[in-house]
This record gives sequence, C-alpha cells and structure tokens, in this order.
Amino acid sequence: MKEIVPLLGLETEYGIIREDLEDSDPVEESMKLLKSCTQKSVFGKWAYSQENSHLDMRGHRVASLAQDEEEDAFCAQDRKRPYSYLEMKCDRVLANGARFYNDHTHPEYSTPECNSLFSLVAHDVAGERIVAESTKIRNQEIGEKAVQVFKNNTDYSGHSYGTHDNYLVPRDIPFDLLVKGLVPFQVTRQLYAGAGKVGSENPKTKDYKGIQLAQRSDFIETILSIETMTQRPIINTRDEPHASRNQYRRLHLIMGDANMSAYATALKVGSTLLVLNLIASGGTVPEIELENPVEDVLRVSQDKNATLKRNSGNSITALEIQESYLEAVEQNYSGGNKEYDWVIQEWKRTLDEFKNSPEKLSDRIDWAIKEKLFTEFMETENMDWDDPMLQSLDLEYHNLDPDRGLYRGLEQENEVYSLLTEEEISRAIEFPPEGTRAKLRGEAVRKESEKIKSIHWTGIEFENGDVLDLTGVISQEDVGRTQVTG
Amino acid sequence: MEMNDPLRREEKKESSPDRDKSGPASPDTSRPGRDNLLKRMKKVDPKQSEKYKQRTGQ
Repeated sequence: MKEIVPLLGLETEYGIIREDLEDSDPVEESMKLLKSCTQKSVFGKWAYSQENSHLDMRGHRVASLAQDEEEDAFCAQDRKRPYSYLEMKCDRVLANGARFYNDHTHPEYSTPECNSLFSLVAHDVAGERIVAESTKIRNQEIGEKAVQVFKNNTDYSGHSYGTHDNYLVPRDIPFDLLVKGLVPFQVTRQLYAGAGKVGSENPKTKDYKGIQLAQRSDFIETILSIETMTQRPIINTRDEPHASRNQYRRLHLIMGDANMSAYATALKVGSTLLVLNLIASGGTVPEIELENPVEDVLRVSQDKNATLKRNSGNSITALEIQESYLEAVEQNYSGGNKEYDWVIQEWKRTLDEFKNSPEKLSDRIDWAIKEKLFTEFMETENMDWDDPMLQSLDLEYHNLDPDRGLYRGLEQENEVYSLLTEEEISRAIEFPPEGTRAKLRGEAVRKESEKIKSIHWTGIEFENGDVLDLTGVISQEDVGRTQVTG
Repeated sequence: MEMNDPLRREEKKESSPDRDKSGPASPDTSRPGRDNLLKRMKKVDPKQSEKYKQRTGQ
C-alpha cells in the first residue's frame, strides 16, 4: 500500500490570561508575549498577500468568513487601538521553520511541515517549550508570574480556540472519498485523542456532570464547512494547500483537541495518517455510515459507550468503529514502516485497554489521566463533579507553567508516559525537520534573516529581489535540488 | 526523515525511547509523587476557570 501524505503539520492556539489585572487584555498580552520570544526569527514579515482562505474544497469561493457577534464587536474595538493589523499579529518565523504569531488574540504555534510522525510530535512539544519560555521572559519583565498560558481549547464559557491537524494529500484523490472514509473515524477518534473536559458548554447538554472525552466536541455543528469560528465542522473545507494547487490539497482538520500527552498527539495524528493512506490508496475502508454524525460527536464525548445509529438501521459503538478502522489499516500497513508499526501497536493496545482495563490508560491518554487524577482529588476533598473547583483543576492541567501545571507536575513525578527524549525536544526547538522545505526556510531565517523582505509557507522574497519559491518543494528530493540564495 | 527521528537514531545504535520497545508502562500511584500532586491541586484557585475569559478562536 502506498504512503500518500508527504507533509504533516499541527497548529495550536493557546489561551492566555494576565492574573494581576482586573481585566486581562488579550490583545496587549498576546502582543507582549510574542515580543518576548527570543528565538532566532524573522519578525513582522509574513506575506499575507499569499493567503487565500476563501476557497472551498467543494469548488466555490465565499465572500467572507463568519465570526460570532461578540467577536465582531471585539474586532471593531481593536480597530481603534493604536496598532495596525500587522502589528497586532506579531508574526514570527523561527529558525526551526515554525510560525509563531497571534491569531484572534491567541498566541498560535504552527509547527514546521514535517515528513515523519515523531518529528511532528517533537515539534509540537517544542512549541510548548517556546511559548513557555516566552511567558517566563514576559513575567520577568512584569516582576511576577502574572501571565499564564494554557494549551487547551476552551474557557468553559462557550469560547473555543483550536488545535488543527493538517495533512498534504494529492489533489487527484476525490474530496468526497476522503469525507466518506474519514467522518466515522473522526467522530470516534476522541476515544484516545480527547483531552477531556469537565462539564459541558453545549446549550443542549448544559446539565451534563462529569468529564467528557473531548474539549471540542461541544462545538461541532456540521459535517462540512469552510468556517472555523462558527459552524465548526467534522471536516473543514477550506481549500488552501500552501503547495501547488494542481497537485495537492491540504486536509485541515479542526475538531481535534490540544493534547498535553505527546503519546496522545502521536496516536491522534498517526491513526489519521494511516486512515488517509488507506482511503487514498483504494484500500478497503470500513463501510460505516452514521445516521447522525454531528450529534454523535457530542454523544460519544459524553458517553464513551453510547450506541450510534447507522444508516443501515443497525447500531454500533465508537469502539467498534475504531476497531474496524484499525483492522483495515493493520491488514494493509503492518510491517512496512516502523512508525506505522508503532501506531498500529499502540492503537491496538489502547483500544484493547479501553475495552478491558480502562484504568490503564491513565498514564498517557489525557481524558483518562484527568479522570483518575480528579476522581482521587474528589474522594480526598469530598467533592462532586459539579464543584467549580473541578473546572479550575481541568484548566490548570493545561497550564504550561512548570510550577503550576498539573500535567507538568505529573511529568515531574514521572507519572505519565514520556514519548520523547529531552534531546529530541531540544533539537526541534532549534532546528527544522530534515528533508523538508521547512529546513530551507529555517536555514534562511538562521543565516539570512536581515536579507528577508517577506516570508510564507510557500516561499521567501529577499531584499535584492531574489525569490525562493517553495510551492513545489514537497519531497526530500525536491529539497535536495533547491538552494537558498538571497 | 529527520536527523533526530527516533527510527534513524535506532539505526545509529544510539539510546532509544520506550516507543521502540514494548510501549508504555502503567504509573505507580503508590509513590509520594501523588501526594505532591494533591498538594499542587489544593493550591488551585477554585474560581480560576470562572476568571479565565478568552475570545473565540478558530
């Protein structure tokens, strides 16, 4: 079976708050955080002229993208600030090939394009470290730990921000085929990819008590949509490949959670990668059509053993759906690639433990780690799930501060599984992934930063007029044929 | 493949993480680390999530 995804990437929007002020201003705090970053980088030169987010995979163009009324009002206020749009964005392109900037007042770390799973996970964790270091520097400037940053997806009051996983796939694979094959998988991926959330923000289930599997499941409203701030879909249809439009599309999946567990990130992206390979290679994909996939996202999140209605009239559980995909992937991809073998082995282990001994997931699957930790706390403190303390603990699980974050505390006590070595993370902080166009971008930032006029995923324009076009630089061979000059 | 890729590293006979072996092991919850975590949890402001207001992102 073919491997058809040449590049992968993760985007994470972080939550930010200034705790010593009555009203934390996210615009000011996010700008100051970005300005505190000391990583070697090119600042304020992102080529927005290369962006086009209004094209839809289904073949049409939208006039504008929607946001809710509250955000419209905030944006109107922001226009009165003494900053330009670009000044508020504070774009940085780092020497490791990543982009670090402000997106809708959230500090966002977009990993460089990676061509291997573990490389991608290392770069995602490198992003955590870079954001945390910037926060530390900002707090030194303030004189106390006033700014706190969280790798999560919700404020528990109905405001969500995203963690998107991206896969470059050949354009000649019909989009409808990808959708049909991916939807049941996406609905149920939260069994191991969910970061867990105490309570519910969905108006339909506001009385829900307990811990859901996923942070984003309250916010999924439709199967397909180009939108990301309203009408969030199971599959996003934004057609912005950041590569040759004739050859590739970038599958932009926006319903994933921000995982603190690197193992969970690896399993989430790795299983999706294998399912995409299976679909695109013409393999036998499980024939599962759910009657209500959107409702099932929330149903599974709030009841992991729920039975879901199929178009065929039968019922199926989330676990059974995942087992079907795993079986199909294993038949086609087992034994060919060590990374794929790791994914298949751990996917199987995780589903088996989910079925037979779910307590064993509590060292590497975020929702299960939280469930065990919070249950112990509730027993000690004689609390229930609806105590406000539980949502505060849930938030603190995602705090990047090593002295406060609960996941950080679990890491320090060696109570959660460590997927990566410190050496791997350190390398990803400083260096781009080998054999990718990000390597060329990162080299240019490291060696030629003062000569760069503008920069984007697809290329670099230098002050002398030279252009490094990365649009068609996808494979390792493409990278080898391309030289940085400027 | 990336230079620091674990599979490349394994080929070079350098130290390899557990992911190249038998997978993760369960935590030992009897250790004093659990007490440290409980202490950290007790310090959390019960109103922290209430105060944590964000703007909608993507």
